[in-house]
Amino acid sequence: MRVNYNWLTEWVDIDLEPYDLADMLDHLGIEVEELDITANDAIFTLEITPNRPDLISVQGLAREIAAKTDKKLKKVIDYQIPEEHAQNKEFALAVTTESKEDCARYIASIIHEIEIRPSPPIISERLEKCGIRSINNIIDITNYVLLEVGHPLHAFDYNKIGKEIIVRRAKNGETIKTLEGEEKELTNLDIVIADNKKPIAIAGVIGGEESGVSETSRTIVLESAYFNPTLVRYTSKRLKLSTESSYRFERKADIGMLKNASAYAIYLLKEYANGKLVGKVIDTNPSPYIHKEVSFSYEKVNRLLGKDVKKEEVDRIFNKLSLQKRGNDNHPKILIPSFRRDIEIMEDLAEEIGRFIGYDNIEATFGYRSENPISLEGKEILAVKKIMPSLGFYEAMNIPFIECSWAEIQDKNPIELKNPLWSDKSILRTTLLPSLISSIKRNLNSGEERVAIFEVGRIFTLDDGEEEMIAATLAGEIPPNWYEEKHPIDFYDLKGIVVTLLEKLNIQEYKFSGCKDSLFKEERALSLLINTETIGCFGLLSQDVCKVDIYGVEFNLQKLLSGSTKRIKFGGTYRYPPVKRDLSIVIDEGKPYEDFKNAIKDAVVNDVQIELIDIYKNSSVGKNKKSLTFRLELYHPEKTLTDEEIEEDMENVIKKLSKLGAHLRK
Amino acid sequence: MKLNELEKNAKKEIEQSVCVDELEKVRIRYLGRKCELTRILHSIGDLPMEERPKFGRVVNKLKNELEGLIEKKKRALEKSKTLPWADLSLPGRRPFIGNLHPLTILYQEIINVFIEMGFSIVFGPEIETEYYNFTALNTPPDHPARDMQDTFYLKDGRLLRTQTSPVQIRTLEKHAPPLRIISPGRCYRVDTFDPLHSPAFMQIEGLWVDRDVSMADLFGTLKIFTRKIFGEETIIEFLPSYFPFTEPSADLWIQCPFCRGIGCTVCKKKGRIETLGCGMVHPNILKNMGYPEFTGFAFGIGLERIAMIKYNINDMRLFYQNDLKFLRQFNESKL
Ligand SMILES: [Zn+2]
Repeated sequence: MRVNYNWLTEWVDIDLEPYDLADMLDHLGIEVEELDITANDAIFTLEITPNRPDLISVQGLAREIAAKTDKKLKKVIDYQIPEEHAQNKEFALAVTTESKEDCARYIASIIHEIEIRPSPPIISERLEKCGIRSINNIIDITNYVLLEVGHPLHAFDYNKIGKEIIVRRAKNGETIKTLEGEEKELTNLDIVIADNKKPIAIAGVIGGEESGVSETSRTIVLESAYFNPTLVRYTSKRLKLSTESSYRFERKADIGMLKNASAYAIYLLKEYANGKLVGKVIDTNPSPYIHKEVSFSYEKVNRLLGKDVKKEEVDRIFNKLSLQKRGNDNHPKILIPSFRRDIEIMEDLAEEIGRFIGYDNIEATFGYRSENPISLEGKEILAVKKIMPSLGFYEAMNIPFIECSWAEIQDKNPIELKNPLWSDKSILRTTLLPSLISSIKRNLNSGEERVAIFEVGRIFTLDDGEEEMIAATLAGEIPPNWYEEKHPIDFYDLKGIVVTLLEKLNIQEYKFSGCKDSLFKEERALSLLINTETIGCFGLLSQDVCKVDIYGVEFNLQKLLSGSTKRIKFGGTYRYPPVKRDLSIVIDEGKPYEDFKNAIKDAVVNDVQIELIDIYKNSSVGKNKKSLTFRLELYHPEKTLTDEEIEEDMENVIKKLSKLGAHLRK
Repeated sequence: MKLNELEKNAKKEIEQSVCVDELEKVRIRYLGRKCELTRILHSIGDLPMEERPKFGRVVNKLKNELEGLIEKKKRALEKSKTLPWADLSLPGRRPFIGNLHPLTILYQEIINVFIEMGFSIVFGPEIETEYYNFTALNTPPDHPARDMQDTFYLKDGRLLRTQTSPVQIRTLEKHAPPLRIISPGRCYRVDTFDPLHSPAFMQIEGLWVDRDVSMADLFGTLKIFTRKIFGEETIIEFLPSYFPFTEPSADLWIQCPFCRGIGCTVCKKKGRIETLGCGMVHPNILKNMGYPEFTGFAFGIGLERIAMIKYNINDMRLFYQNDLKFLRQFNESKL
């Protein structure tokens, strides 16, 4: 809400400059969002917490400032509704409230012979400063009272409504055209003010257009009422209509303020619109139950605050806040004024004490007295994250909403948002890849040559719920350098990264197999299996929209980690130097390298490391043939191998390879 | 040649050798099989019997001495052996190394502070029910405080958690207090994606329940946290606030690091910046969980907000745009 400094000083003497007042308000928990200092005034924009409806008014703020600065309020709204008004049979009106739950009290006054004209500057200027547009003296006066004492009022044109006011639930399907000119359909969860024919206002939210005050109005009905906060809130939400009035009602307006607000408005209407009260003021509940007591304990509150606040200090604070102590000091009860509906339990009173002594005066302590029974989670996830940068990847983070077309491609059942922020991104991500693809493209477009990013996060499906995933994407080219030519990133760059990740995670038992995931290009992708369970896929992404080649990988993190051997086995270091032998073979072009590598491994009796050091295709090799060159490192843990032992292994290898259709390259 | 003359010449030649090859020639000349010294040694037969042992000792001593000098000179020469010129100003061959996300770096830093203070880390689902996200946290459906957290709902009626506090309820269901937990994770609120808001964000919440935990303990815990994260000299302040799940409630403000408290546009001339919300767990919550005899405190840290203050970042969207030019700047080795 907005409020100006000068209006506040009409209520309480303020010895503080606007900036210092703002600081004091901050320290009371009334956050000053903005302070706008003008020539001879200052405007405060305040963020009032939802528990303090009393502070959404000049009166409430002045009360708080007075309490903090030990001042008395200069102004008191204590107008009486004049008793000696003219009795005039002409102005009949009856008020019925169907339910006290919905409307605890309704005060209606008829004011006659009003003169509609612009408001005097004292009213219009203050309204403008507080962010309300000045319309005419009648509407402005209801708003002025709202701002000053915090209670919403409404004015009907007496001649446009029937002579009966009924506060009731709307019938399902009933409609009303609001002051803003919009037709609203109502349900039986909305409270309406109706005459004998139809609704004339949506209770606590907005008036109807037809029954509203206009240039031609001569007689008005002034409403001062208390409506059920929950229902007002519900209606305001459902109709997407948040008004100054609904804002205050849904936060529990002060039911003790109704009569004063009425009387004050009647006084102002006489003063500035020449209006005369006629007929009898109707009040459906002249003495509502507003009495509330809260049990209190000095000792418990001190324990909660962690500070020894003296009894006299507490009493002094209570006194300033109009909180009256009843009963003896061992079991006191605190009587809560009607404008402080937020105080319901002792802890609320503890907060009041804390606020007024100042949190700065509670000395910070640290130390625990009990052991903690809960164990630590989530260490593994961070361990995985930490490996990725060393493989050249930057960590990305994305908002987990994606287009539903992705789920269709994946044939997954997505979880749909009821109120998406972006209408095209209406599902929770079923894969981390789409957002990473977008990020890759943005980076390539902005001139990056090689982009490698990864993300760890959850995906969501109806079938499997929430799953923690790791995904990475890689695209572009290795840029040219003085020591190497540029070359595009390809499948083997990614495969090397995947294998290194598996190694770093200490995952030894795994298999690669064909990839059936529709996000990937089958001919350039593999799936990873651990214990026959598919962990995920990696390879070239198949999205036609990618336009550029993007390589991606996505693994289920928990399943991946399930393959990690926790204990590191140390196998000794070989003291005897290995013997290196290169071996070139010629095979059919379509045959996979791995078959031959495995054959070599099987054939060798001794320990062996096998590296593929060359692939060669040329007419000299033969049509549809290729040549592979392997480098074998043969070794034995306990001795240096003899020439004979090496030759024996090599012979076995050649025999085995020729069975697979390979022959030695000349 | 006389022995002393030989000694003088040999030492001079060793000294003057400029490369290993030249030194080797010197060695062969004086100490090789056909060298001067051997020749002199062989001439021992010409001497009278009684002079021979002494002469032998002198020659051998010289031989050893020269060998030592040559060896020493050789080492010195090898050290200064010149290599062909290379342009050392050429750039080095660099491996590709990435970075963790700034939010992960800060996350880990924060988590470690609380682990040191004896907290445990607990995770929970991002998809939640009304009950865990609101009702159990003293925020029934008609509560105006719900406006503070505009919620994403799912078509099946569940919702995306607006805070990680549901984890606190889930933990209290499984474990009786006393306990100290940190529940980190992603949360969601219907907010426009702008410099100060994001529909998804990271939160780190803390809960400490024990007998007679007080606001003084809360302030003490968060004081340690802010000093570790923002520096020992950080000035902090607690101001009253409101949350439906805490009573009393407070906001932690730190002195504006941009103007050192003088007042600037970042802090809207306040000289301090709102950093996180906290308070004493609302007694209704502990009562509903069956622990009315306990008290506790809770706090919620918005990771993006802390990162923006700590790294002086003015646009929250940068955390979610994955621009390498941004991500490259976060080399934190503190992990
Ligand atoms: Zn500042």
